Amino acid sequence: MNPHPSGPSPQPAALPDLHAPIPIDFDRSWFNELETRHQKGGPWDDWKLFNLALEAETASLVTSFEEMQCLKHLNNVTPLPHQTETARKVLFEMRGRAILADEVGLGKTIEAGLILKEYIVRGLVKKALILVPASLVLQWVRELNQKFGIPAVAQKKEHSWHNDVVVASMDTAKRDPHKNILLNNEYDLVIVDEAHKLKNKKTSNYQFMLQLRKKYCLLLTATPVQNDLGELFNLITLLKPGQLGGQSEFAANFVVDKRLPKNEEQLKDELAKVMIRNRRGDGELEFTKRIVRNIDVELSPEEKNLYDGVTSFVKDQYQANGGDLNSMLSLVTLQREVCSSRDAVFVTLVNLSKKLAPDSPIRDRIWDLVDLIRQIKANSKAEKAMELIREMNDKVIVFTEYRATQEYLLKYFRERGMTAVPYRGGMNRGKKDWMMDLFRGRAQVMIATEAGGEGINLQFCHQMINFDLPWNPMRVEQRIGRVHRLGQTNDVHIYNLSTKGTIEEHILHLLHEKINMFEMVIGHLDVILERFEKQHSLEKSLYQIILESGSDEEIASRVDSLGREFDTIKSELDAEAEDRGDSGGLQQLLGG
Amino acid sequence: MSMTREQIRDFVMTYLEATECQFLEKSPHHVTVKLSPRADRDLTNRPYYWGFIDRTGAEPETMSFSFIFDPEAHQAAEKAKAAREQANAGQPMETAQEDTLLGRYFGAVRPLPVLGPGRIQREELAFGSPRLKQIFEAARKGGRYVYLFEEPGPRQRTALLPAAYEPWLGVCFKVEFCCDMKREELHFYGVSLQSGTVDESFQSRIAGKPLVPRLPENIHIEPTRLSLDAGRLALEQRLTERIQAYDDIWAKEARERLSDELALIDTYYKDLIKDPEPERAQGAMEQYEARREEIRWQYEPRIVVSALGCGIFHLRSPR
Repeated sequence: MNPHPSGPSPQPAALPDLHAPIPIDFDRSWFNELETRHQKGGPWDDWKLFNLALEAETASLVTSFEEMQCLKHLNNVTPLPHQTETARKVLFEMRGRAILADEVGLGKTIEAGLILKEYIVRGLVKKALILVPASLVLQWVRELNQKFGIPAVAQKKEHSWHNDVVVASMDTAKRDPHKNILLNNEYDLVIVDEAHKLKNKKTSNYQFMLQLRKKYCLLLTATPVQNDLGELFNLITLLKPGQLGGQSEFAANFVVDKRLPKNEEQLKDELAKVMIRNRRGDGELEFTKRIVRNIDVELSPEEKNLYDGVTSFVKDQYQANGGDLNSMLSLVTLQREVCSSRDAVFVTLVNLSKKLAPDSPIRDRIWDLVDLIRQIKANSKAEKAMELIREMNDKVIVFTEYRATQEYLLKYFRERGMTAVPYRGGMNRGKKDWMMDLFRGRAQVMIATEAGGEGINLQFCHQMINFDLPWNPMRVEQRIGRVHRLGQTNDVHIYNLSTKGTIEEHILHLLHEKINMFEMVIGHLDVILERFEKQHSLEKSLYQIILESGSDEEIASRVDSLGREFDTIKSELDAEAEDRGDSGGLQQLLGG
Repeated sequence: MSMTREQIRDFVMTYLEATECQFLEKSPHHVTVKLSPRADRDLTNRPYYWGFIDRTGAEPETMSFSFIFDPEAHQAAEKAKAAREQANAGQPMETAQEDTLLGRYFGAVRPLPVLGPGRIQREELAFGSPRLKQIFEAARKGGRYVYLFEEPGPRQRTALLPAAYEPWLGVCFKVEFCCDMKREELHFYGVSLQSGTVDESFQSRIAGKPLVPRLPENIHIEPTRLSLDAGRLALEQRLTERIQAYDDIWAKEARERLSDELALIDTYYKDLIKDPEPERAQGAMEQYEARREEIRWQYEPRIVVSALGCGIFHLRSPR
């Protein structure tokens, strides 16, 4: 039962003698230099600087083994209590080898940054290697530099490895010639982000990490165990082989089935020595409320004409195509765009006609639609949005799916004396930061087309308008997540604009009433969606419904049945969670 | 430990004065300086530029900085100033702010330096900020070896007999107690090269004494009986005695952790290294050895003594 029996050591003589004198190592380089200068009669340094050096050293002196120093050195980040506590535990209880397994969005990067900073301040870490997915390299470099004042560099060339703190992608690091360089080095600290990619012993990632020489090591992952208890065993073996015993002892002591642990309390205790998992809803990690309001917008007759025109155009094309869904995707986009702004439809129509043969009959239909666009003088949604923003008189972020709508809204607001700034995926980092600054400062409105990616953290704003809705619930959640996140102190108001008598009404109905998307807690949605999409893509199902339904009622009833599927999956998952609650499964092991 | 804003200000001002920088503007919350060549070499990170100046002998153009010690107070003062100017000239002062934003916009990864009026780089100096660390480092680099005399005072110049001076070797030791954690101490010891007396509070011996780099008039330096090397040995011995008298519970605990960790990996590897397949057993053995090395590296307690600075101090003999 005891996972660490004090059995015979293979080399018994090698255990340390507790009472041996502690070796004192005198660094005498100062003496040689002093003697040389003395013989040559100088040059001598300034006494004032000598005293300053003494003062600086006194101020930076680490006077205690067990008191966190790094917080005094940080000016650009204020860690949350659970982050500081996690760092403290890793430093003083786990001794610098740990799995940081917080749920998504609770700030594992901050925790890792605090630990790295503390070790650097104490002079215990000089060389550090940070291995992350390629897409996150620059973000890590930026955060370490800006928030923690740690001069980290991104690995670009072979010689980048000479720097003290290097951020690189795992895929680069494990390949030659880099692999060789790294394995010949030794690192005071190695951090691996997205460490669940290390759960399989046979992969090159795993073998590489096993060989890398390191003193301290942090593995960051939100999902330390997904399918198999063995994954957890493998991760821990990278940090502290033997913490759960040998492979066979682990299997005998803790595993019933690969998804079912036994001796759970004991396993939990052992895990707590190497792993920290903060969860939403623990103590002060409570989120504020989401308050949702759906706002119906009545289309003007001209807009309605355009909508109907586009709808029948799209349907005709679908039928002419023999019901092949894949070739129709760009056409369905038209229908969504028409609910957003005439500008969005126009751009797509023009692009479409460019691709057609000059004598294609479809061209004429497209130009008919363009004529309809010309007749539209006002955008009912934009008017409504303007009215809303004036009413709330507060910072607000407006999300739209379309670049053309974004441009239109910027112009529309500007003409009416309201300052708005754009934000989109294609902007470079500097420009994004600039826009964020403007929004924090004097602009009341930000109009964003991108919700994914890091960097937009808008805790200071708690009003958002969905000018149009993405059809993918994850994207909706990403949008909300920009505002409704840790550090948000206000309840978040979400306004959904939907045009009456259009497909948008149905989508909103599905997302809000059926999936209950806007009020749901984040962590579960991805699981539901993943399972749902095992059968068919949600977006495609929606396309199909729209293209094939003859009437509004038909759309409504088919969307309803999609919603029911979602419900079923949700209750399935709930039931499974309860099951696991009884017999003690993986989730419960992680504190779920 | 840390430093207050006032301490940081005093520190930075002393550094700037000591390196002969030219002050352009001063307030309790900030200072604007044109760096001296020496400070520029220390702080601006332009080795190529200085290499060029050194080779060609061209006149160097040093950089200017605004160091802000108290951002809020400084901003308030700036605003008040801007308001006054605006009242006088009736012109809005938007340019400085625009500059900030443009600076950000063009910085692809790190924001560009923030430029104040006159394109002077502007930086907040808080404890832990990279710039302050750099100034610390410059002080450490530029203040390590000194050779000094106690100033005898004006009356000594006309005194009948020369004053007797005793040479001391003074060393400020930094002692680091390391295991997987670390603690540090500073000890400023001195040893008289004449009598061999070791003074553990050498810092208070010299505190308050005016020390100058040139030989004062009308003094007489007594001959030394100890070589520098003998002085060093005496200091190291005394320091060793002192350290050995410390409670070494921290080291015992570290060794316990070390042996726990070693025992832990034994449980994991004991079967693996007996694998009947020689190749696999070999691989496991290598891994086992590597892990043992890492654990030692992490936990093994040790004490490292280095010198922050040192010097030869000629002090007036007490008579």
